[in-house]
Amino acid sequence: MWNRVREQRALRGLSQAELAAALNVSRQTVISIESGRYLPSLPLAFTIARFFDLTVDKMFDPDEQEAGA
Amino acid sequence: MNAFIPPRLRKPAVYALAGVLFAAAWLVRGGPLWWVSIPALIGTATVVARLYRLGGSDTDEGARAGSRPDERQRLVGQRSRALAGSLAAVASFAGLSVAVAVNSTWLWPFLITFLITGYGYLLGLGNYGIAEEGTPDDADTAGLARPPVRT
Repeated sequence: MWNRVREQRALRGLSQAELAAALNVSRQTVISIESGRYLPSLPLAFTIARFFDLTVDKMFDPDEQEAGA
Repeated sequence: MNAFIPPRLRKPAVYALAGVLFAAAWLVRGGPLWWVSIPALIGTATVVARLYRLGGSDTDEGARAGSRPDERQRLVGQRSRALAGSLAAVASFAGLSVAVAVNSTWLWPFLITFLITGYGYLLGLGNYGIAEEGTPDDADTAGLARPPVRT
C-alpha cells in the first residue's frame, strides 16, 4: 500500500528518529512503514494521519499501489 | 509483578530464573553429573548479561529483549512464536508416528507435546475471537428484503 509518510516527513524536515519518537514507535517501524513493508494498525494509521494533519485516506492509498504495480 | 521490574530487566530475569531452575534440577538429581549445574549457571549468567546488553541497543532485537516493542515488533514476535509452535506440533507428530511405527515405549513425550500444542491452538482460537458470531443487530438486518429464514 502506497503512503505519504516519507513525503510528509521530508516536508516537515523531520528525521525518521524524530518521527518515531513523536509516534511512540521505533525508528525501524517508521522505516518499514515508509518502504511499504509494514502496514500499520488502524490506531497507528490514525495517529500518523493526525500528526501530519491529513485524513487516513489521504495518508494511505491502496489504489496507488495497484496503479504502480 | 511485571510492574515492579524495569522493562529492560524483565526478559533477563525470566532467563535467569529458568537457568537457575535448570541448574537446580541437576543438583537435585545428584549423582556423578551434579557438576553440570555449574556450567549451566555460567551459561545462564552469560546469556542474561548478553540479553541485558542487547536490550539497550536500537534494533528490533533490542526492543524485544528490552521489553519495549512497538506494534510491529510485537507482531514479529507473535509470528515467530506461532512458527515455533507449528514446528513443535509437526516435529512431535513426526516423532509420535515413528515411535508408533517401531512399537516403542518412548512415544509418550511426543504424544504429550503434540497434545499440548494442539490444545494450545484450540485455546488460542477460543481466546482470540473465534466463536464470536453473535446475532446480527438491526443495522445489519435493515437492508435485507426479508428476515433470514429460521430453522
